[in-house]
Amino acid sequence: MKPILKYTLTNLFIVLISLSAHSQDKKKDSLSPRGDQYGLRVGSDIYKLTKSFYEKDYQGLELVADYRLTKNYFLAAEIGNENKTTDDDRFNFTAKGTYLKVGFDYNSYENWLDMRNLLHLGLRYSASTFSQKINNYKLYNTSTYFQEANPIISGQKFDGLSAQWLEIVGGVKAEVLHNIFLGFSVRINYLISNAKPDNFDNLYIPGFDRTYDGKFGASFNYTISYFLPIYKKKRIANGQEIKK
Amino acid sequence: MKKLLTVLSFGFFFLSCEKDDLCDANTPTTPKLVLEFFDASTNVAKNVSNLKVIADGSPEGIIFTTATDATKYLANGVSTIKIPLKTSSDLTKYRMIMNFGRTTAPLSNEDIIEFKYVRNELYLSRACGYKTLFELTSLPIRTDAVTPDGLWIQNITVSQPKIDTENETHIKIYFN
Repeated sequence: MKPILKYTLTNLFIVLISLSAHSQDKKKDSLSPRGDQYGLRVGSDIYKLTKSFYEKDYQGLELVADYRLTKNYFLAAEIGNENKTTDDDRFNFTAKGTYLKVGFDYNSYENWLDMRNLLHLGLRYSASTFSQKINNYKLYNTSTYFQEANPIISGQKFDGLSAQWLEIVGGVKAEVLHNIFLGFSVRINYLISNAKPDNFDNLYIPGFDRTYDGKFGASFNYTISYFLPIYKKKRIANGQEIKK
Repeated sequence: MKKLLTVLSFGFFFLSCEKDDLCDANTPTTPKLVLEFFDASTNVAKNVSNLKVIADGSPEGIIFTTATDATKYLANGVSTIKIPLKTSSDLTKYRMIMNFGRTTAPLSNEDIIEFKYVRNELYLSRACGYKTLFELTSLPIRTDAVTPDGLWIQNITVSQPKIDTENETHIKIYFN
């Protein structure tokens, strides 16, 4: 878990830097109403994508999208698929499945007139359907009198597993090029349902990441996305917005 | 911004919690077989003296005490001992040597007991993995040593064929 923490902190740092750098060079161009543009932003988690290349025990893809509802509220969703083999002390197992996360983000970042960066806080309802396969496992024996048995090759597969959870999402999205956003988010997950297999446990849930003893978990993503402008709202004198 | 930072730090807090990586020593894992010794004539618990227990094929006996010399292999002055069963086979054979090493009366005497059972593997946790539970399928078979020296064990009974915990006696052994 330590390398991930380092990774996330570095990511956060990079995104924040680009966010502030961006605010500098756009100040002068203050007449354009880009900040009032509404539309759909679609993208992908590049962390899962790159990890699929360099880690042979992992394959994953996550597509992300959000749609601006009001000035600060965004409808947001992620859909993904993961196939991960975990080599733990006592087990080697493969979790494989698809997940969907739906919710909203609230942008708390006060942009300069023409900017569209986000510092957002949001909530997701998430669900995953998956299978688990035990590749091998060890028996725990406090007696060392008999030589410890080798890991037992299993291959036992559990299909039709599912889990649902809520995520509190905190993140940033910075427009690094015209309509191109770089984003990073951290999620605290809370399991609300978890259909466990008989005589095993859901040690990794696609979309949720690894599970702990309790109901909490954590995950993150690192996205690149494209903003597709659909319409503009023009600000009028009393501060309300109208569709143009 | 402050709200966000709070949420982020909470996230890292949970990320750093990894208590479940070590198997807690108090977790009941694979149980040992609990043998209790009784006096064959009075049926009351009886202490063994210098009992050495060696699995068939093993070079050395089971360690019963914290002693650093060879006496650690001897159960002495206790009426209950715990011995492991093989988790990789349905049969464990033990050589039970009473009065180990004695050349004057009471003489050293070796009997062999064979335990037959079925195994059942039960999931514990991420840190502990699986444990094995056993169920005896027949009355343990008692035979004399390879070099016959008579039987010191008079009778064996099974009081609990299901070996799920170490908190109860599974086998009762009667001797004089």
